[in-house]
Amino acid sequence: MTVNAESTVARNTALPSEAPLDEPRGGRRRKQGGKARIWLYVALILTGLVIIVPLIWIFLTSFKTDYNAINQPANPIPNPFTFDAYQTLLSSGQQPIFRWFFNSLAAATLQTVIILVTASMGAYALARLEFAGKKIVFGAIISTLLVPPVIFLIPNYLIVQNLGWLDSIWAITIPGAAGAFGIFFLRQFFVGLPGEIEEAARIDGAGDIRIFLQIVLPLSRPAIATLAVLSFLTNWNDFLWPIYVLLSPENLTLQPGLSVLQGAYSTHFGIVMAGAVIASVPVLILFTLAQRQIVDSVASSGLKG
Amino acid sequence: MASTSIAPVVPQSTSSGGPGRGRKTGTAYLFLAPFLILFCVFVLAPAVYGIWISLHTWNPLLPVHPFSGFDNYVDLFTPGSLTFGDFWQSMAATGIFTVCSVPFLLVIPLLIAVMLNQKIKGSTIFRGIFFAPYVLGVAVIGVIWKYLLDPQLGVVNHVLEAIGLPSRIPWTVDVPWAWVSLVGVTVWWTMGFNTVILLAGLKGINAELYDAASVDGAGAMRKFFSVTLPGLRPVMAFVTTVTILASANMFGQSYLLTNGRPGNTTRSAIMYIADQGLAQNQMGAAAAMSYVLFAFLAVISVVNFRLQREKTE
Amino acid sequence: MKRRTGRRALAAALAIGVGAALVGCSGGGGGGGGTQNGVSGGDYSGPNVTISFWNGWTGGAAPVLVPKLIKKFNDEHKNITVKDVPMEWADISAKMPLAIKAGKGPDVSVAHGDDLATYAAQGLTLPVDDIVKTLGYKADDFPQGLFEASVYNDHQYAIPWSVTPLGLYANTTVLKSAGLDPEKLPTDKESYLKALDALKKAGVQGEWVDGYVFTGTFEFESLLWQFGGDLYNKDVSKATFNSDAGVQALTWMVDLVKKGYSPKNVAQDGNINALIAGKTAFNWNGVWQTTNEALDKVEWKAAVVPQIGTEPAVWSSSTHWIFLNNKGQDKNKTAAAATFVKWMNDNSSGWAATGELPAKNTVREDPALLKQYPNLEPFMKELDYAHYETVSPGINGANALITTAVNEAVLLKKAPKQALDDAAAQADKILQQNKKQYGG
Repeated sequence: MTVNAESTVARNTALPSEAPLDEPRGGRRRKQGGKARIWLYVALILTGLVIIVPLIWIFLTSFKTDYNAINQPANPIPNPFTFDAYQTLLSSGQQPIFRWFFNSLAAATLQTVIILVTASMGAYALARLEFAGKKIVFGAIISTLLVPPVIFLIPNYLIVQNLGWLDSIWAITIPGAAGAFGIFFLRQFFVGLPGEIEEAARIDGAGDIRIFLQIVLPLSRPAIATLAVLSFLTNWNDFLWPIYVLLSPENLTLQPGLSVLQGAYSTHFGIVMAGAVIASVPVLILFTLAQRQIVDSVASSGLKG
Repeated sequence: MASTSIAPVVPQSTSSGGPGRGRKTGTAYLFLAPFLILFCVFVLAPAVYGIWISLHTWNPLLPVHPFSGFDNYVDLFTPGSLTFGDFWQSMAATGIFTVCSVPFLLVIPLLIAVMLNQKIKGSTIFRGIFFAPYVLGVAVIGVIWKYLLDPQLGVVNHVLEAIGLPSRIPWTVDVPWAWVSLVGVTVWWTMGFNTVILLAGLKGINAELYDAASVDGAGAMRKFFSVTLPGLRPVMAFVTTVTILASANMFGQSYLLTNGRPGNTTRSAIMYIADQGLAQNQMGAAAAMSYVLFAFLAVISVVNFRLQREKTE
Repeated sequence: MKRRTGRRALAAALAIGVGAALVGCSGGGGGGGGTQNGVSGGDYSGPNVTISFWNGWTGGAAPVLVPKLIKKFNDEHKNITVKDVPMEWADISAKMPLAIKAGKGPDVSVAHGDDLATYAAQGLTLPVDDIVKTLGYKADDFPQGLFEASVYNDHQYAIPWSVTPLGLYANTTVLKSAGLDPEKLPTDKESYLKALDALKKAGVQGEWVDGYVFTGTFEFESLLWQFGGDLYNKDVSKATFNSDAGVQALTWMVDLVKKGYSPKNVAQDGNINALIAGKTAFNWNGVWQTTNEALDKVEWKAAVVPQIGTEPAVWSSSTHWIFLNNKGQDKNKTAAAATFVKWMNDNSSGWAATGELPAKNTVREDPALLKQYPNLEPFMKELDYAHYETVSPGINGANALITTAVNEAVLLKKAPKQALDDAAAQADKILQQNKKQYGG
């Protein structure tokens, strides 16, 4: 639990260092290593195919007619190849997928920003400042870490309803930003930062705000990136809560929207798959572009302990 | 322009803290305020409000919510009550799912992480591919797999047919196949997440430990058990806890793939609670159920924590 | 049975009572007025409004037709814009009540018969006595029992719109391949079994039964009534679907699986998909499937459901217009919604294109309609003996258990009697809870 944050951070942003189980040395070893290497690649490629093939299948299905999808399910090639599904979906106006995509984007971004701001400020106080009631506040925060979200489902629904936030972006961003994980995560990180620079700055007369903004935050970039990615993905994936608090079709986010789409077009598989494709492609493109940073950030979330 | 600390320096500093620090209660609470406001309104207040609701017969569509004491809780433990059978069936569903999914969600990502940790080309690309399903979101996954696993129209059964295996498997219709589907889809969806974290953990293991083991004559298997696993302990603890909690809180997969069927066998606790509270309008009963679930999870977390502790001591 | 005659008397009394009451009041006001909190019948003439309309017409031809109708209405009415909000029926009943309490529900919607009493008891819908008067609707303008379904505490809360009975769909190509004559579809138990036997000999599983609500449950309920049983007792305080009639009905369905006429573990929509793919011959499904585009390429025919039991009966649902009582409901919006509903009623002859039968007898029985939609003939014939939903606040909580029982029995997890008894025991508890929370 007392991982030295900085060295971990440094290690993490460095190029991946290999820690191989079996270092080939010498002729015979090398040959065995070679064989093992091939199996390794085979295993990885097979696993990769398990991920990719279903996605490709869905992509192809979206170009099938309903009749084709029902009558020739085993044949991946659409026959006839048609854009009908996309046309129906995009022209009906009843399932505005692109709108849903932007709603999700807006909500995830908004919630991430709120979390980053509130959690970093609060974490600084918990990590670096002494104040009355610190133990109580910290204790209260920690005690909610393992509480299952379902506890908050019904009371928060009533609270959100009373605030008039039903069917709005506030309902799906504000309550979710109140969780303890972010502030706890950053607090652990801040605590691990070396105190010398701060001490020096304090001696120079810098106040807390300055120290927070100009010293602590810059040093915490990796942790903040991690929290940002985790928060974004959590909100993006949010399903149960939006189903109940979002009502009008145009206010839905992508996850409940797709569920609605499936309900609306249950046997029109071409249309449902077209919806899945539209929901996936932009996300996958964004992910591919930022893949390395995103995955690196998530990876280091486990190293805080 | 040095900003001065806003709070007056309080002389009664009894806490530790470096020289010149003193207590900065005012500043601290200013830093904490944004978070604390959210926390109080949407975490602390609902936690208490929820208990309050659970003590009433609370139908949100009716004007009056009569006080009912502990009735909602007692009903959950009284065979023959309205909620007893359904609630414990849903808890069993969550239990079965958790027990079945967690091992796969730990072992498979571990194996993949170990593979990715080798000296191979394109490990970053593989890593990205394995992680990709997670960014798609649970509904996309649910919609996709509901179709692929359709007993008649899904390609999975057709592939099985082509290979010559039994191929009229009711993946989304009947148990035990529905469990296989739920666990399988969950693994497909989230294995990348665990893989990536475990991989980082692996990379954090000191390479010299492996060299030392090699010098001692240890083979690959021995190294795995005596160097890799111990080295992964803290990360594994984190991943295990997160995975158990995620499985215990499963909702989307059941909702989208099987809708709780057959009967209500795959209706997870969260599904049942959400339905009771927000669709059947029995908020009191649902709130009580959520607290009982919480109690279970608390016990499991404590046990989990203790086990981790013992291992490291 | 007894329920029907009782309802006749009730209907008559109501007609007299309501008529007398309305004659007594001053006539429905123009503009935005009307009975206290009720919906006025006059045409809307107020400021521009946008009203939201939640509906569950997401299948068949509806997703294309409904927007067209709405557009026509919007074009013809400068001061009203109707916003079409389609979502699954189950989603509407799950979300709408709480949305209305929060003031975020729709202004007008359609609901099934079994929701009407529930919504009225929950204070979600506005009385429509006025608009009914303006439209001049009476109970015998509609199939028997439909009008009365929307009465709660002596007020009318909904206006009937459509009826949707179950029917028998047959893939004639498959029938011919088994040597059966598609012109002579089976009409009773004997001929049905004969047909299934012939199909089985030809290697076809003739009717795929499933445990899902839109097909399995409705087939079960049809059979239950055919065997002389009923879902609930008269005052809806006890579930009676586990009576002998119910056991007979469910056993019939389970036997189809056991005797090999149906595969086990049919997935949702599996049976209609099988019909389309030529893997089965018969499917008991709703009239709404007549507009399923995937059937276009299939040679199919519809007929009345065979009478397996001792009397003719078939399940039917009904949809009704309702006006919602949102928190802070804008009276102008409600008045505009009334105009919309009136317009739809006046323009309802085209509604049959969505695969639903217009509820109003005169519209439906117009020979021109049948000429245009000949497929609907058997469904119309069934209306003579169709059974509609039970009307009682909170009834859907109990109805859900019927589906659970059918699901468990058809999947061979429980014996029919066991499944029905278990479901009835739980349903009774829910009925009790309903009485406690909603009263009668």
